[in-house]
Amino acid sequence: MSAKDDILGRVRRGVGKDDFAARKAAALASLTLPQRGPQPVLGADLVGRFRAKAEYLSSTIAAVATPAEVPAAVAAYLTANGLPAEAVATPELGRIDWAASGLRVEPRPAVNADKTGISGCFCAIAETGTLMLLSGPDSPATVSLLPETHIALVDVSRIVGTMEDAFGLLRTEHGSLPRAVNFISGPSRTGDIEQTIVLGAHGPCRVHLILIGEAS
Amino acid sequence: MAAGIRSQAMHFQARAGQQVRNLGLQRALQKAKPLFVGKRAKGIASLVEDGLDFGLLRSTGKNARNRNLEDLDVWLDIFEERATATGAEVLWARDGEEVSRLVVDIAQRHGVTKAVKSKSMLSEEAQLNEALAAAGIRPVETDLGEYIVQLAGEAPSHIIAPAVHKTIGEVEALFAKEHGRPLEARTSADIPAMAQEARAVLRQHFLSAEMGISGANFLIAETGSAALVTNEGNGRMVTTLPRIHVVITGIEKIVPTLDEFATLMRLLPRSATGQSISNYVSLLTGTKREGDHDGPEKTIFILVDNGRANLLGTPYEEMLRCIRCGACMNHCPVYFSLGGHAYGWVYPGPMGSVLTPLFTGIENALDLPHASTGCNQCGAVCPVEIPLPELMHRLREEQNERGLRPCSERLALKAWAWLAGKPTLYRWLTRRAARYLSWLADDSGRIRVFGLAPAWTAGRDLPVSSGRTFHELYSARKKA
Repeated sequence: MSAKDDILGRVRRGVGKDDFAARKAAALASLTLPQRGPQPVLGADLVGRFRAKAEYLSSTIAAVATPAEVPAAVAAYLTANGLPAEAVATPELGRIDWAASGLRVEPRPAVNADKTGISGCFCAIAETGTLMLLSGPDSPATVSLLPETHIALVDVSRIVGTMEDAFGLLRTEHGSLPRAVNFISGPSRTGDIEQTIVLGAHGPCRVHLILIGEAS
Repeated sequence: MAAGIRSQAMHFQARAGQQVRNLGLQRALQKAKPLFVGKRAKGIASLVEDGLDFGLLRSTGKNARNRNLEDLDVWLDIFEERATATGAEVLWARDGEEVSRLVVDIAQRHGVTKAVKSKSMLSEEAQLNEALAAAGIRPVETDLGEYIVQLAGEAPSHIIAPAVHKTIGEVEALFAKEHGRPLEARTSADIPAMAQEARAVLRQHFLSAEMGISGANFLIAETGSAALVTNEGNGRMVTTLPRIHVVITGIEKIVPTLDEFATLMRLLPRSATGQSISNYVSLLTGTKREGDHDGPEKTIFILVDNGRANLLGTPYEEMLRCIRCGACMNHCPVYFSLGGHAYGWVYPGPMGSVLTPLFTGIENALDLPHASTGCNQCGAVCPVEIPLPELMHRLREEQNERGLRPCSERLALKAWAWLAGKPTLYRWLTRRAARYLSWLADDSGRIRVFGLAPAWTAGRDLPVSSGRTFHELYSARKKA
């Protein structure tokens, strides 16, 4: 008997129910009408909430009014932190005029030598101050992972309340899941040596968010 | 006992004795406990700010886990269908040995020489690292705690803080040896530098390994995905960079929908570390898509039974709700007296005291269900309401029913049961016993050596009895 038949046989005996087909139909039906659990009360100011939570998770934040101001904001951040004026960006951001602000930005997947990675995000979640990134040809997952500094552009109109809201948006706009959905909440961290929190374990040590559409 | 399981749980008493005398361990545990407890308390308290009720949230989480278990055959079928449709492969393993065989076989077929691993307790059940090494494939643990434990040649002592038993000096010694550098004097201020050092070493492994092995915190039936929750980002590395990704996980880990997953994500990080969310939560679906620059070309799920299916439909089914947050051990007085290694197998603390006998055989872990003070701290903090003390109690009953307890204990219990059925005799005897205890006490009101059971007073004094039984005190009070 195959391992699968063996295991499923044991599971079926343990579950102790017949009518597999009917139960499967009911289960599939339940997937089309997902039920939300208790939802948080977040108030009307989702942007403010997102900012507060993201800062609490050790992300830094800048705000600009329009996409045109992004390169200058990136340049200012890199200068302030003593970082070189160069970065890798997800191809989705390739059309931005980085050079005008004196930045050398290459739209491509990241490699180990890249110091700074710039990405967009699919949406952001106010409840926890979290970014939601989808992997894809124009948004390779390495850009938000390999470099020590991750700069993410967040359009304030894409800030939703909860993870459930984010899934709702994903269902509406994409239907199915990409290879990787990454929820990112601040720089990577570890507490594995004597329970002391250290930022920058394997992923970025710094996460800087540029909120677009909100005057600073 | 399932094949492939090498448990030391039978030696619990001896191991516990050693751990209690291990001063380094005791220091590490004393430092960790208030941090674990305090962080969780803060995390749970923060729910109120958002108008969320922990009680309601945990009953919703419990229902989501139960919904899965009640029709597990159906959900496994749906998961397999959907995962396969996304291009992943689904394999099944009856036990740990079969897991190891499958992983080694996949590695050999794809010419793998090194596998980077993101924490997987199931791979510990399977003793996968040993199997890989024996086949000439180098397994590299990448969670910092797991890495430390692997360098030490040990097993994790905690399910979310694997190296909680290690002091900074011990970690420094391991790093100096492995990284080929002189030993340095280290204080807490050096911890960031040590983490950086491990980051640099492990980064090279991420970039060069052909295979990534991870567990899954949950499997999502709706989308056929694996959900992976980490803080360090090693989970992302392991599932993004190598060309093959193997997910090893238990058959009970399914969550039907993304929305139910979202509820569980309000419970899991808070219960584990007090965080409102972990730094990285990834949903991994299928393989590298057309046009993608990264991601594995091959994704293989190994769904493992190893004793789980047998719990369905029994009183122990509730244990299958467990989401592996570690809150039960973080609040357990027994765990924090002994550390995780005393428990002798993969899972320590209260959840381990239930799982180890169930997975490795009740007769092979006789002491574990007794490693409890009955305080129910574990039951009170469990985010999916598993009645851990009740399950431990049930295991004790089962030991007794199956004649697995020592003869003297069974006789004593029989004698007690007989006596308890004779109220007059019972009262007469307990009166005598109370007088005896009061007579034993010294001037300061303590019993220093209790002759009938000297072990009880080996490390502490017994406070003196009032010399009167509860019955006597109660009737005196009623008369007054």
